[in-house]
Amino acid sequence: MFELESSEVSQETAGSAWLPTASRRTFLKGVAGAGAAVSFMSKSAWANGEIGFWAKDLPADKLTEMFNTIVRIRWHERTMVDKMITDPKYRGYNHFYAGQEAVATGVCAALNNKGPFDQLDLVYSTHRPTGHAIAKGVDMKKMAAENDFRATGLNGGYGGEMHLSDKSCGFIGADGMIGPGHVIATGSAFAFRARDSKQVAVVFGGDGTYATPHFHSALNNAALLKLPFIYVLENNLYHQYAHYSYSCPMKDIADAARTYRIPGVVVDGQDVFQVYNVMKTAVDRARAGDGPTLIEAKTYRYYNHWGAPGAEAGQLGAFGYDPLAISSFRPEREVRAWMQRDPVDICRNILVNWGVLTRARADEIEAAAKKEAIDAFAWADKQPFCKPEDGLKNVFVEGVVPARQFG
Amino acid sequence: MARKSWMYAVLEAVQYEMRQDKNMIWIYELTPPVASTPGMPVINLEKEFGRKRVVNTGIDENWMASCVLGAGLAGSKAVTYIPYQGNCMCFQVIQNHAGKLRSMTGGMASMPIVFLLEMTGQTPGFAGQHSDYEIDTYYAHIPGVKTVVPSTPTDAKGMMASAIRDPNPVCYLYPAGLRELMEEVPNEQYTTPLDKAAVRTIGSDISIVGSGGGMPEVLKAADLLQKQGMKVETIDLRCLKPMDTETLVKSVQKTKRLLTVDQSYYTLCPGAEVIARCAENVDGARFKRIAFPDAPPPAAPEMFLWMRPNADHIIAAAKKLVG
Repeated sequence: MFELESSEVSQETAGSAWLPTASRRTFLKGVAGAGAAVSFMSKSAWANGEIGFWAKDLPADKLTEMFNTIVRIRWHERTMVDKMITDPKYRGYNHFYAGQEAVATGVCAALNNKGPFDQLDLVYSTHRPTGHAIAKGVDMKKMAAENDFRATGLNGGYGGEMHLSDKSCGFIGADGMIGPGHVIATGSAFAFRARDSKQVAVVFGGDGTYATPHFHSALNNAALLKLPFIYVLENNLYHQYAHYSYSCPMKDIADAARTYRIPGVVVDGQDVFQVYNVMKTAVDRARAGDGPTLIEAKTYRYYNHWGAPGAEAGQLGAFGYDPLAISSFRPEREVRAWMQRDPVDICRNILVNWGVLTRARADEIEAAAKKEAIDAFAWADKQPFCKPEDGLKNVFVEGVVPARQFG
Repeated sequence: MARKSWMYAVLEAVQYEMRQDKNMIWIYELTPPVASTPGMPVINLEKEFGRKRVVNTGIDENWMASCVLGAGLAGSKAVTYIPYQGNCMCFQVIQNHAGKLRSMTGGMASMPIVFLLEMTGQTPGFAGQHSDYEIDTYYAHIPGVKTVVPSTPTDAKGMMASAIRDPNPVCYLYPAGLRELMEEVPNEQYTTPLDKAAVRTIGSDISIVGSGGGMPEVLKAADLLQKQGMKVETIDLRCLKPMDTETLVKSVQKTKRLLTVDQSYYTLCPGAEVIARCAENVDGARFKRIAFPDAPPPAAPEMFLWMRPNADHIIAAAKKLVG
């Protein structure tokens, strides 16, 4: 394990007293926090023997809701794939999340997703956003309409999949870029701290983000300012079409947390309850004013980076090779191996094992989720298209900009 | 000669230069330097030159641009291919370093480097961050870097050869909407100047000036107008900086009417610069420009395609100007 030298610990405690007005009490609290951080740093959550305890103590309806969220994300994914490859009129595209459902679900289950905006925890998402959106509480019907660019979609047809956002549940939203959103998220965390709010800012990032300056800027500034900021890095092994070894020299990206003197935790991203437990620890820490956490969830996406080449209607998983990925990309055997540890199955089996669900009840929940997804896409199909001239709206709060394409 | 796509033609030029110069390097992050075209050998720079010289990096466009700049300063020719999502992430290093270093060093810094910046403008559905075309304006505004935007595979090859051989940093803009464009391109290496516009059709009634991804619509509009009897001179800018004022002014002196077409935003678009230069040099001419409105590109195709200038817009504007 990564025990810090005593000199490094003293640096940490010195850093914690960065406020010129810090009282002795704040200082001592900083020392205690630093100690906790050291023991927590860059360890596997499983190895810490901390698994199952909080999640297992949750009420049955909360646990059932987590299973419900997982299968809702899964069936949204599967319905969208089927739509893309069977309906020539469908215009939506997707960066699929199937295989990673447990991460979004476990993370958002530990957050405040309802209520007035100034009490919501905020989630910044990636260009792979639909799972995060559903877990945070975004309406599936409106999201389906947005993904097909309908006027009544979540963002009025202006955003599409890579720019989904929903203020009502604190989903700041998807981002088509790699990195900048993560630094911006620390700004939300800074605002929370400045106004003594108990809110936290959470950012989802991928393994590719490690290479960007934004990853380091976000963690460095969040650590320096002790911000209520949680970095959830979904390591699905590939940024776009390249293995993460192209962008990161470490096996565990969570090791980077050592540099910033904050906790860095590796968690099995296929197990929603392990994700929940590490997230709960991080959220408690952030709300208590003890600063940021880096969580690395080891997970895997079943479909390709973008779209679903090779997919077959009604079949889960896509094993085709994208035309863009002429060089190295993932082997099919690897995809199949990960599918043996499916987050839906793992969640279902644990809840049956804990006596929270029967298999029959789990099947009912899944059937309802499937119906909800199919109904959502059917509803979206009937929504009106955007008016062309509305493209001139929403540039500024007031008015429209002039049309310049006519001369 | 063989029919080649835009990118095949470019990689052919690069392959030739890399074979000549063992020190030359290529950095990319998403798009492997691989291209094929029927009846021609597959070009795979990574395979041919190995991963010491051709590197797939993590997602960090700032590093990629800085890396080739550093390579240039160390005496190596270098190219980086920055995909459209990240084509402004490296802006700062090009604006504040690549563009200024020769001047700041009193002429000592050498930067034989090419920033191959992909841009869209042709893509409805992706919205905001993935549909922009405005970088032509941004990069053309920087002193100290040449900024070119070839619109045909033939120009793309010749201008890449010139860009690599040029001792100055070159922003080489790639309109990704032209990915599918094919034409006959010579197999041997040749160079195309980095400071000359191309006159595509000759006429005396109106000059229509476009560039990059907008050129296919300009040529389509010109063709239809000519069939209706209008004598249209079309000019493909190709080089935004330095801009070929002479060709532009000569044409407008003849036609006295200038229509510019841009896929980038109206305010300060390249067309605005074209009009300014012609207005300074030609008396009694009339001007009009069309461009994308000053709005981020919305996702819905209905909105986006209505806003993007097309052949119909060009024809209507030309008729207004000539009629």
